[in-house]
This record gives sequence, structure tokens and C-alpha cells, in this order.
Amino acid sequence: MTNTSTSTMQSGYAAKKKAINTLIYVILAIMVIIWISPIVWLVLASFSGDGVSTGVVPKTFTLDNYIRLFVEHDPNTGEIVPMSEMRFPYLQWIINTFIVAVLSCVISTLLILMVSYAFSRLRFKTRKTFLNLGLILGMFPGFMSMAATYNIMEIFGLKQQLLALVIVYSAGAGLGYQVAKGFFDTIPRSLDEAAKIDGATRNQIFWIIILPLSKPIIVYTALTTFIGPWADYIFVSYFMKDNESAYTVALGLFKMLSNETYSEYFTVFCAGAVLIAIPITILFVIMQRFYVAGVTGGAVKG
Amino acid sequence: MVSKTKRVLAVILTGMMAAAALTGCQETTNTQQGSSSGSTASTASTAEGGDESAASTAEGGGDAVDVEAMTENIKTKMKEEAAANGGKIELKVWCASADLKFEKTLIEEFKEKYKSDDGSYEFKIKASGAIGEADAGGKIIESPKDGADVFNFADDQLSSLVEAKAIAPVIELYNKNIAANNTKETAAACTIDGTPYAFPKTSDNGYFLYYDKRVYKDDSAVASLDDMIKTAKDAGKNVYFNLGNAWYNAAFFFSAGVEIKYENGKQTTTFNTNEGLNAAKAMCHICENAGAGFQGVDGGAGDNTAVEKGFKDGSLAAAVIGTWEGPAIKAAIGEENVGAAKLPTALIGDKQVQLESFGGYKLIGVNQFTKYPVTSQTLAYYLSNTESQLKRYQNRGLIPTSNEALKDPKVQADPAKKAIEDQTPFSHGQGSSVGGKYWAVKGIPGMGSDIYNKKGKISDDELTKSLSEIQEQIDH
Amino acid sequence: MDFLDYVQMTRGQKIAYNIKSFFTGIPGAIAGLFAAIGRLLKKLFTTIGNGFKGYGSRFVKGDIGTKLSYVIMGAGSMLHGQIGKGLCFLVTEIAYIYFMMTFGLSYITKIYSTGVQVDEKTIVDGVIGKEPPHYEVDALFGARQVTNLDTLDDSNKVLLFFVLTVLVCIAFFAVYITNTKSAYASQEIKASGKKPMNFLEEMKMFLDERFHVTLLIIPVVGLLTFTVLPIIFTIFMAFTNYDKAHQPPGNMYWWVGFKNFAEVFYSSPLKSQTLGKIIVWTFVWAIFATFTNYILGIVLALMINKKEIKFKGFWRTMFVVTAAVPQFVTLLIMKLLLANAGPVNSVITGMGLSAIPFLSDANWARVTVIIVNMWVGIPYTMLISSGLLMNIPEDLYESARIDGANAFQQFTKITFPYIFFVTTPYLITTFVGNINNFNVIFFLTGGGPDSTDYYKAGQTDLLVTWLYKLTIDSKDYNLAAVIGIIVFIICAAGSLITFNMSKASKNEEEFS
Repeated sequence: MTNTSTSTMQSGYAAKKKAINTLIYVILAIMVIIWISPIVWLVLASFSGDGVSTGVVPKTFTLDNYIRLFVEHDPNTGEIVPMSEMRFPYLQWIINTFIVAVLSCVISTLLILMVSYAFSRLRFKTRKTFLNLGLILGMFPGFMSMAATYNIMEIFGLKQQLLALVIVYSAGAGLGYQVAKGFFDTIPRSLDEAAKIDGATRNQIFWIIILPLSKPIIVYTALTTFIGPWADYIFVSYFMKDNESAYTVALGLFKMLSNETYSEYFTVFCAGAVLIAIPITILFVIMQRFYVAGVTGGAVKG
Repeated sequence: MVSKTKRVLAVILTGMMAAAALTGCQETTNTQQGSSSGSTASTASTAEGGDESAASTAEGGGDAVDVEAMTENIKTKMKEEAAANGGKIELKVWCASADLKFEKTLIEEFKEKYKSDDGSYEFKIKASGAIGEADAGGKIIESPKDGADVFNFADDQLSSLVEAKAIAPVIELYNKNIAANNTKETAAACTIDGTPYAFPKTSDNGYFLYYDKRVYKDDSAVASLDDMIKTAKDAGKNVYFNLGNAWYNAAFFFSAGVEIKYENGKQTTTFNTNEGLNAAKAMCHICENAGAGFQGVDGGAGDNTAVEKGFKDGSLAAAVIGTWEGPAIKAAIGEENVGAAKLPTALIGDKQVQLESFGGYKLIGVNQFTKYPVTSQTLAYYLSNTESQLKRYQNRGLIPTSNEALKDPKVQADPAKKAIEDQTPFSHGQGSSVGGKYWAVKGIPGMGSDIYNKKGKISDDELTKSLSEIQEQIDH
Repeated sequence: MDFLDYVQMTRGQKIAYNIKSFFTGIPGAIAGLFAAIGRLLKKLFTTIGNGFKGYGSRFVKGDIGTKLSYVIMGAGSMLHGQIGKGLCFLVTEIAYIYFMMTFGLSYITKIYSTGVQVDEKTIVDGVIGKEPPHYEVDALFGARQVTNLDTLDDSNKVLLFFVLTVLVCIAFFAVYITNTKSAYASQEIKASGKKPMNFLEEMKMFLDERFHVTLLIIPVVGLLTFTVLPIIFTIFMAFTNYDKAHQPPGNMYWWVGFKNFAEVFYSSPLKSQTLGKIIVWTFVWAIFATFTNYILGIVLALMINKKEIKFKGFWRTMFVVTAAVPQFVTLLIMKLLLANAGPVNSVITGMGLSAIPFLSDANWARVTVIIVNMWVGIPYTMLISSGLLMNIPEDLYESARIDGANAFQQFTKITFPYIFFVTTPYLITTFVGNINNFNVIFFLTGGGPDSTDYYKAGQTDLLVTWLYKLTIDSKDYNLAAVIGIIVFIICAAGSLITFNMSKASKNEEEFS
């Protein structure tokens, strides 16, 4: 009697559990469809041969859109147009963005590590003031002072140049010290003390002891600063104005969707978007655990 | 007025003589306003003969100045401008990206025509399609020194360019020609407070009717919107007229007698009237055929796409759109099948009324801060002169503004040209009709798409309510 | 409750206690913020006062070298045997004087010019810059040309260089004070019979005792030049009439005091109403955007990480892919999909329903941006909380189960408090980030649908997108600067309060 009731209870419990799990699978499946279908639509459109279409699935498929990203034929002579003469020099944008991303990634990561190490491990008189000032400065919307920054670039002779973008993306990087500081805070201070007793200077402690321990946070910082330039639109559009040869991929792709060129280039835009999304997605999927470790300030070890 | 013209011409001609005498001499009078006006006074008296001949030219050819005769003087001035900038003439030109290739060929011609005889200067002209006609004005104002020396723009940006002192007034040499060579409406669109500021290029900033001749035999078949829709319906096609866009659906309000005016920075309209209600009801009447004979919204991707797609897949028989779509329509249904006409009439109130429209121009302006004012203006003039307009017409299908170019047999034969000409008496300049506020009232396009989406089944009370909301927002 | 009670609590209790104290602490923290500002001001003035006192007393007590270094920098150091250091000071002074003579002084004098003829009719006081553009009309061609292109005072440049000069002066002043202090310090060391450090020894300190200076100098200089300088410049702009009608270099602009603030807050009803509506919507948006993502992200992570659920990696990767595609691409795609006659609506009308104005009706658009933002943001929260879920010590659940807690109770008592506690700083930055969330609004609705109830803004515009429109579209730089200051005050006050309250900053020393 007791046994049967327990077993029915158990089987009831198991059935309930199974029902819940099934429900979760259904919900997850629906959510994945919702989340992934716009991406699928983008990929389909990038292979579409029917130009702009409001339909869900294209009628004809082609690789032309991808080819047109890199090769443009002169309509009169049929010759291949050199990249500098192309209407939308996609490869040039990719190269530009890559240069900017790599440089600003290296500089920003260094600056962020320096600042957060100083704030986390070193004690000096003005530390608290700097900490709060940094917090306050970070609160101004970045592009609010864009016009002034542009004028400053003019003084340095960097108007409409890629280097100006690198500077814009990395000069303010020091303000993003919070996350890395949170990480450094978790490294036991006894390590520093031990090294100090052995006669190491703070400089040596930073390079030899702390940095090697900071792989997750370095990867996190490098990842976020590397991805930034691929998606920024505002600064590039204000800084580069008509200098097309210095456009980055985000601005260039956005220009493809202007009224004048929309119908001709929509599918090419999709192809361009897919191409830049692939490496970034792969990078992100591989690096996701570092990303998590970074955001949670070391609460999760990478 | 006449005496002023004479004096100017006298000045130009004496300058011509003086320059001819000074050919080869590097030193030229420049700078210091005082001294130059002094020299004007002294040379004017020595040029009595020139004065007379100038007067006769002026009477003979309207007010037009013969620019060809001035070529040598212009070259001398170019040399001077180049000398002040290290022997080079570096110019930047902004145009629509779709026009870039064609504009480059014109620029090459310009370089050839004005190339230095003694090699004392050379042109470096960079044309770019990065900043299109819709954005050029704004970008020039944003930072004139980084802007193009010569830029193409739509006529509604002119007043803010002048306000920011970012656009240079057209120089004396050319400014008479704008009024003399172009239609009156065109010249007016280039002029603010009596000063011409830009060179007219094309008259394509407005809309009219394109139709498929296989469906409509001739212009008489497209005289009334009701008949057109009926014919299209029978052929299993649609007539396209974007009611969900305030630029297009203004046609109904204009025609119903609603006042839409923009003066001294103030927007006045009379939407909340019987006329307004009539216009809305006229739209309702047409939308009874929504989806079956009539398409009144774009596909979310813009008019151009909707029209191109519609003609390509055969779902459209006619469309209310502008010349910029001409080439695409020709490509879609074949040049021989393309017809164009002024807008049809529509049933407004209880009678058929001619639909009115917005009309406008694309202009070429010169940056006030260019280092090469005369060279830039000459380039702008060259790009907008009759020959260039004709070439632009042949290449890009954009209807010219110059009287001469309009007389060209090919242009004459273009249905779009006739359509624009026929529509002009029924068109309204944007600058004098609407300001930014008008476009901000989203009730205007919103009402159009609502009517369309509900297939015209909206009660008069609801329409009146929407109209009074629109009016309230404008007056606010 | 004192520390002893706290230590004796179980882990769960500690977390609950922390969360409770977080919320009960908010009013205190706000009061604390003002108290802190007060303290800061008091400290500032006492520091200045003490500085003057020290400055005077050092001069009185100083020997000839110290006294001399009040005029000729580095003299004291050199006389006291620190040649290298003294030379550095001297070079700084010479460079500063040269800078001021050739450059700085002229901009200080140009920052407020009286009686400048700004156009044909108007003469104005308080103009930024002295030399307006002069036009000359060419006699032969009648071309109007700016003749003083190189010397004309572009108000932007004058203001920028003025700010630069002031920053240089402040920096120089700091070096100058350091110079007098250093001179006096070396004098005292000398008087006590010891030898002051030589240049090399002092330099070595920058790798150890003063390593923070070495680490911070480059970031600080970078920030000063490319962040602080532009921000001060922009703040000044809020007090000028730099708008469409006063656009340099063709026109000049001048100081107008608090006129722009007055306009935005009360004197122009349209502008102040717009500001009010946009602030309300910004907060509604930020709250919804932050918490919908946060809560649903955690729920999604819980579902994926539930023990019995298989293919965890697959599910996670599917969502991560959408997070990795550059945001502007996904947002533009969403805009196309949701257009009035876009694919989504064609599916809806295909089912016989009427099309939904996702982006063209104000209320729909507001809902749509929040939902699309969920689509963009949930994968991130899912990713982060997945990582955290794996980190929750199993023994917590164990003891909870023994106490008879069901799954829901376990979630509310353990899982959520733990995640919430760890992610508080993330939550705050996300909230601030959403207040400043430019991308979602700009690419999706562009701030629209527009309305005449708004001054140059639409019904889904946030403060930042309004700021952008004022700058780029209508070139009302002065109003944009006012909006920028408002955004700053909101964000700074909010986050200073929360950050200073959160355990992370209170207990940063505890880790060591």
C-alpha cells in the first residue's frame, strides 16, 4: 500500500518532470527559431538573385552578391575596376577596420591594464579622487564632444585619417578600468608582498607577477576593444566625412543602404554583413568564457 | 538695373582687354578692396567703346554674357589662383554616387577646355559620390573647410546654406546667365533675396506620372485617376501612388485647395477645413481599389524599390514618381513602352480636378571657403551649361533646365520632359510651401497609409478628427 | 548588527542581508552623495587655503635658492645640488613662457571680444574671437572671397584653444608649486646634513614608489587631450548661441549666459515639454530594456542549464551567434523585417489579419524597440548568468533541499540573490548604458515616429538620440550641449550613488 503510493507518487513526479522538460525543450526551440530566423533571412538574402525582395525565401540563388563585394566591372568596357575606383571598395573597408581594430585593441588593452592595476594594487594620495573622476568622465555620452574632438584632430594633422579613429577609440579606454580593476582586486595581495620582500619593484611585480595571472581579463579587454571598431558608426561617419578610402566597414555598409543605391546594393549589403559577421561570431563563440569572466569581474574564473 | 548691367559688362570687358595686354605678366591686381574698386573707376572711363558694344550685346542676347569670349581671362585668373596655391588647382566635387562616373567625364572635358596654355597650372579634381545630393548641404554647413569646392544638392537646402554663409554667390560673370538661360521658375529656385547662389542642373526634384504604353494607349487614357485604376484593374495590374508619404499625398491637399505655405520660417496650412476633408475623401475613394487596381504604400523599402520591382514583375501599369526612376522603368519594360504625362485628374468634392504636385531642381553650388573661387564657379557653370545638361540627359535621363537644352529634339521627344512641362503650372516649390515642421507631422503620411490600409472605409468624423489633429500640430 | 553577527550568518543569509541593505541604503546614499559633495568642496577650499599658507611660509623660511625658485623655476633645486631636476623645471618654465607669448595669451584675450561686427548690421559684445571673415569682391569676375582665411577667428577654434591654454596654465601651476616645494624640501635635507637625491635616483622612484605616476601619466594625458578638453569645450558651448544661424567660420557666435538652459527648462514651452517627455520615455525605456533582458536572460540560462536538458552547447551557441553579429546589421535587418509592408507583416496579412504598424505608430514603436532590444540583449545576460550558475556552490542547494525548499524557493532564495549580488555592477552599467543606448533607437526607428509635440525629435527618441539629431541634423550645438549636460548629471548622480553603495566598492580592501 505504502509502496504503491510511493511508486505512483514517484511516477507522477517523474511524469511531471518529464512534462516540464518537454515544455522547456519546446520553449527553447521556439526561442531559437525567433532568434535565429532573422539571421537566416540575412544569409538567404545574401544569396538572393532577385534584388530587393520582401518575400521570405528568394526565388533564385546566386553568388554574385559576394563577388560584387570584391570585383566591380566597368559597365562600358567590362574591365575590372581598380579598388581605388570602386563605388563600394569593401576590401578596403575591411583592411581599414582591421588596422584600426588591431591598433586600438593593443593600445586600449595596455592602457586599461595600466590604469586598473594602478587603482587596484597601488595606494596613493589622489587615488580616490581619480577613481571618482574617472567614473564621472565615463558618464558623458561619447559623441557629445565629437565636434571638438574633430577640431583637435585637425590640430594634430590627423583630420579624416585612420589614426584619428585609433586615438578616439583608445584615448578614452582608460575609463573602462572598472571590470579589470575588479579582476585585479581578486588576486591575493600576499603575492605582491612576497615579491616585495624578495626585492622586486612595483614595476617588476606588474609585468612579472600580475600580468601572467590576468589572462582572462586581458582576453576579455582585447576582445571587447577589438570588436568595437567593427560596429561603430557615429564616430566614423563624423570623422571621415567624404574620405571614402578611410571608411570602415560599418559606415561603408550603411552607405550601401542610402536611398540612391538601396535597390541595387541591398543584397550586396547582406553579403557584406554576413562576411564580417562570420569571423566575429567565431571569435566570440570561442572567447565567450573569457567574456563571462570579464563581465562578472572575476566572479567566474575563465 | 540696365545701367548696372552695362557697368558690370564694361568692367568685364575692360578687364578682358587689360588682361590681354598683360598676358605673360605674372603680377595681377588683387587683394585690397579699396585699390581694386579704384582701378575699376579709372578703367571704366577708358572703356567707352567697350561700354557701347556691351550694351548692344546685352540687348541682342537678352542679359546673357558670352562666357566663351572670356575663356582667356578665366584662364589668366585660374593661373593667378593656382599661383597663390603652389601652382596647382586642387578641387573636390561632390555628386550623387549614381552620377559619379558620368560627372567624371564632364570634369575631364572641363580640364581639357581650361588647361593651361603655358603649363603654369594643372588640375587635380577629385569627384566623390560619398556625400549625395540629399546630404551635401548639411555636410558643407557642418564644416565648410572640409567640404567640396563644388557640390550638387537639392534646392530645398539652399536657404540654410545661405544663412550659414557657406555657399558663395554666383559671380558676376555668370549670374546673369542663370536668369537668361533657364526657365523663370528655375532661376527663382537658385535665387535668394535677389542674389543667385547656385547653378541649376536638372529639374528632377518633383514627380509626375510614368505609365506602361501597353496598358494605356496614349495620354488621353491617363487623364483621370479613376479611369486609370479601372483600366489597370481590368489588366490585373496596379497604379502606384504612395499615399503614405507626405511628399506625394500633398497632391490631393494642394488640388483640393488646402493652403500649404512656408514664409519667413512659419508654416501655415488649412488642413482642418472642408477642402481638407474633400482631399481625404478623395483618397478614400481611390483606396476602395486598394490592392486591386491601386497600390498606395511602398514595400517598406522605399518608392524606388517598389516601383522598380513593380514594373519588373509586371504588377504595375503606372506610377507617380520622378525622372530618377526613368532609366529603371525603361530597363524594366523597354524604352518603347514607357509613357509619361502630367498627373491625372482625381475626383475631389464632386468634380474631376487636376492633381497638383511638388516640383523642384537639383543645383550646383560653390563653397564660400574654396581657395579657387573663380575656377570653382567656372567648373560649376561648366557642369550646368546647356551642353553638359544635354549630355547628362543622354547619359542619366535627367531632364535639363536650360531653355536651349529643352529645345533639343531628343529632349522634346522625351515623354518625361513634356510631362514635367505640363505639370509645372500645377507644381509648388518646396521652399515656399513646406519647412521642417511639415515633414515632422507624421499624421500627414500616417493618414494616407491608414486610409489605404482600411481600403478607404473611414467615416467622415474620423477623417475630420485626424485632420484637426494634423492642423493642431502644425499650429502648435 | 555588528560584524560578529554578520560572520555568524550562513552564506545565504549573508547574501539576503546584503541585498536588503542595498535597497534600504538608497535614501541614505542619496543624502550621502550631497554630504560627500559638501565635504569635497570643504576639502577643496581648505586645501587651497593650506596651499597658500604653505606657499607663503616656504618663501619666508626659504634660503636664497628657494626664494629664487619662486621666480626662476628650478633655481632652488640646482643650488641645492639637484642639477637635473632643476634643469627640468627651468625648461618647463621657458617652454611655458614661449607657449603663452606665441599662442596662449592671444586666445585668452579673444575669448570675450567687445564691439565685433558680426554681420552687415549687427555689432555684438562677448563674441568668441575678434577677426570675423572679411569678404572681398573680385573686380573682374565679381567673385566674393574670404580674404583672411588664415587669420580669421573661427569661434570654434578660439574656444578650443582657450580651453587648451587654461589646461596648460593649470598644469604649469601644478609644476610651479611642485618646484617651490621641491626647492624647500631639498633645502631642508641639505640643512639636516644629508645629500638630496640625485636625478637618476629620483627617476628610479617612478618604477617603484611612484610607479602609479608612470602607469597613469599616458592614460591621463590621453584623457585630458581627447576627452576632458572636448568635454569642457562642449560644456562652454551650452552658454553660447552656436546654432544653425551662427555657424563658424562663415559666422561667429557669442556668449549668451544661461539663455539655452532657460529655453530648455521653461521659457520655450515646446522645448521644455519635449525634454520632459523624452526624459520620461528615456527612463521607461532604460528600466524596461534593462530588466526585461536581465530577468528573461536569467530564466533562459536556467532553462538551458537545467540538469536534464541536453545539447547545452548547441542551445547556447545558437543564442551567442545572434549576439555576435554586429549590432547595426541585426538592427537594420530587424527594421526591414518589421517595416509596414515587410516580411513579418506580409505573413500577418497572409493569415487574414491586418498589418501591424510596428515602427510607424508611437505606442507600437515603443513596444517594438523594447522587444527588439530583448532580442539583442537576452543572449548576453544568458551567457553571463550561465557562467554564474555553474559557480553557485552546490552545498547551498544541498542544505536548502534538506530544509525542504522546492525548486521555486531555491531559485528565489539562492540562485537569484546570488546572481543579483554578483551582477549588481553589471546591472548598473547596463542601466546607464541603456539610458545612453544610441544604436537600438537610431537604427531601428531613427527616433520616429515624429510628432509636432516634439522639438526636432520623435516619439521614441532618447536623450542621446535627440542630442545626436540636434548636433548632426539641425546643428543646434548649444541646445545639444545643454542636453549633454543633463544626460551627464542624470547618469553621474545615479551611478555615483549606486556604485558607492554597492559592496564592490565598499569592500575592495577585504580581498587582500
